[in-house]
Amino acid sequence: MAAELTSTKLNAENHLLLDQPLLKLPYELSRRNFKSVQRLVEREKDYTLPALKDTANASLSNTQTPEQSLAALDAMISRMQGLKRKMEGLHQEEKKIHDQSRKRIHHLESLHHIPSLADVKYDQWSRVRLDRLIVDHMLRSGYTESAQQLAKEKDIEDLVDLNVFVQCQRIAESLRRGETKDALQWCSENKAALKRSQVRPSVRLILPSHRHLQLALSIEDQRQRLTRHVQYNLEFELRLQQYIEIIRAGDRTKYVDAMNHAKKYLTPYIDTQSAEIHRAAGLLAFPRDTKAEPYKSLYAPERWSRLSELFVRTHHELLSLPSRPLLHIALSAGLSALKTPACHSAYTSSSSNSLSTTTSVCPICSTELNELSRSLPYAHHTKSYVENDPIVLPNGRVYGQHRLLEMSKKVGCVEAGKVKDPTTAEVFDESEMKKVYIM
Amino acid sequence: MDLVQKEHERLSKRLKANQGTKNVQSTIDLLQSARDAIAADPSQASITLAKLQNPVKSSFDSINDSLKETHSGLNKYSKSLDKLFKDRPLPSTEHDVLSSHENLINRAIAMHLLREGQFSVASTFLAEMTEKKTGVPEPGSETISPENAATLLNPEEVPSNEVRKQFATMYYILHELQENSNLLPAIQWSRDNKEILQARGSNLEFELCRLQFVWLFHGGQIPQTPVASGRQAALEYARREFHVFLPRYLREVQQLMGAMAFCPNLQDSPYQNIFNNPSAWADVAQSFTREFCSLLGLSADSPLYIAATAGAIALPTLLKLQTIMKAKRTEWTSQNELPVEIPLPPSYLFHSIFVCPVSKEQTTDENPPMMMPCGHVIAEESLKRLCKGSRFKCPYCPSESHPREARKVFL
Repeated sequence: MAAELTSTKLNAENHLLLDQPLLKLPYELSRRNFKSVQRLVEREKDYTLPALKDTANASLSNTQTPEQSLAALDAMISRMQGLKRKMEGLHQEEKKIHDQSRKRIHHLESLHHIPSLADVKYDQWSRVRLDRLIVDHMLRSGYTESAQQLAKEKDIEDLVDLNVFVQCQRIAESLRRGETKDALQWCSENKAALKRSQVRPSVRLILPSHRHLQLALSIEDQRQRLTRHVQYNLEFELRLQQYIEIIRAGDRTKYVDAMNHAKKYLTPYIDTQSAEIHRAAGLLAFPRDTKAEPYKSLYAPERWSRLSELFVRTHHELLSLPSRPLLHIALSAGLSALKTPACHSAYTSSSSNSLSTTTSVCPICSTELNELSRSLPYAHHTKSYVENDPIVLPNGRVYGQHRLLEMSKKVGCVEAGKVKDPTTAEVFDESEMKKVYIM
Repeated sequence: MDLVQKEHERLSKRLKANQGTKNVQSTIDLLQSARDAIAADPSQASITLAKLQNPVKSSFDSINDSLKETHSGLNKYSKSLDKLFKDRPLPSTEHDVLSSHENLINRAIAMHLLREGQFSVASTFLAEMTEKKTGVPEPGSETISPENAATLLNPEEVPSNEVRKQFATMYYILHELQENSNLLPAIQWSRDNKEILQARGSNLEFELCRLQFVWLFHGGQIPQTPVASGRQAALEYARREFHVFLPRYLREVQQLMGAMAFCPNLQDSPYQNIFNNPSAWADVAQSFTREFCSLLGLSADSPLYIAATAGAIALPTLLKLQTIMKAKRTEWTSQNELPVEIPLPPSYLFHSIFVCPVSKEQTTDENPPMMMPCGHVIAEESLKRLCKGSRFKCPYCPSESHPREARKVFL
């Protein structure tokens, strides 16, 4: 019976469920790195080859002095050297990422050598994982300092992605302050990847039902009924915000700027975002304190925090990071798996409470997690699980007989032949214990 | 996993070779030598330049080739990753109840950090949290003490200052105990809390004193002292301290005294395991931690750790369930209970669990376990259904009883 109820078998492959981002993130980073190299090479190639040809032709047709040829060659050489320098920089970065991946693979690999969940090594491994999860949670919530400190103390800096999150937080923060510069720069750095993720719906991990990246903002969609069917695109939204800010300034002479801005940055999206663009055009006719929707919400300052959220989502999406902290995922599963109806019961449980040494406190009953797990479902059990010699005391409390007697002996102030209820501290005669049958 | 490792190895090799940069260098060399040639002999300029075309082009081609190789390497690596995590997307976020309890999670983390003795991280964390909550910009944060943060953090039950201090005490005691073999702070603590500990049936104080006795016996601070003086010190200690234990631990004290007689030959005596128990210190430290946390109403091991680990164990099962439910388009009907049993290691079962053998449901406050006079237990709802208000036969034995006689039990 016990074999079905409990299990210490460790299936490493399955167990790595939570650890996907650990390897996927460095992969995405090194992919990004590779793309940069490719772009650089492409650019130099496009410059050097034609330039070389031109120089040769010019030299052949004697329209160019040797000095000019030399100058042209020098220019090419210096550009190539620039390329080499940049490539070396990226190479160093790549090496770092690679080192990190190696350590991470090693960390995950070590799990495969642990035979069972009861093993001491598993305990250690799992503690490292918890530290990782906590750091992940801290980073996502913006507690960067703490995250760095914890990672350092625990020596797991290679297993967490401090820099990525720090950068992400910085940009998100700048958006909340109402600055688009950093976010736009990030967009242009990741232009190719952003396009890719729009074309390739399969990158979605978390919400497989959503086809497009932009739809990830489904909550926002509900909140903003008026713009419900719009596909969100970070860069477009940022540009739109810039446009709104120009108009918000309220200076009529600036309206030309606003229109130019719209022409330059918004019209390329006309195929997908036409409704929004038309609305933006309409905005010109409304003052900033307008009560008329949808213009009121376009002017709303909350738009900035929404942009910030959109950025964070897009960012996580791009790097294959789950949209919510892994700790939440682990906890909500774990709390439910551990929770029993007794954990939030009005009556003190006989089997696990802090009142006696015979029992250890259940983690769900422990103050830290009790409130948190209140709204979660409790674990499903198909078999009863009690000590194998249960007796009931006259007050209705059930204990293992052996343990109860053992404990009563140790407790002071109980005479021979008496037992003390460890929960209520009532004292009964040994003969009052009654056998109880639990199937 | 092996595949991932292999692909990663391959990528590393390519990375080490650093072919791309080498190729760029060779292009530079080509251009440079042509430049030198022209500089040396300007009349040959056009020929040199014409000759240069193809080599430079092919050198760019080889740069591209090496890039292509890297690309295919990356792709293979990505495929091996996909294979490793195949069909294992993270569970969907639809039921994310926890996000709305950010505060509670942060509190749990703060407690966890305190519990693990990471005091400096904890205080940074609390400070950062206060900063975020109050929206105070950076410079102000220095002046906010973590103490305040803690009270801000939990308006309800836990007075976190108190907890913080308590944990600091605990770590001080543990540190003394483990690093300096100094049991006195621990003994002092157990004396301060004597009554509660006794009511709990804890042996902590005696265990600590016994260890102190053994320690003195072995020579205390200076392990090289002659046996006689160690024994003397231990005996004195026993005379001074042990009398309070006599009513409860007479037998154990007698044992310790009896050991004195075997002193020169303790190794072969029946007392060997009391006096040469290598894990004694760790055991005592553990039982101290347990008692200490229990008095605070906390479990001995970090709940966050247990919950996260249990979560990792439970996730594959839950995920499978989710896929099946999605495939069958069924909803998760029982609101309060997980729809599937999750096998956890035995050490993760804390409460007794009673599943009514008739209805197969777990008992709850609303539907408590009831014991019939024959000693069999079923859930109250099952009982009501069986008896219909009159005498009925127990479903497990021939005895009959009236529902009035059934009694509620607490597991």
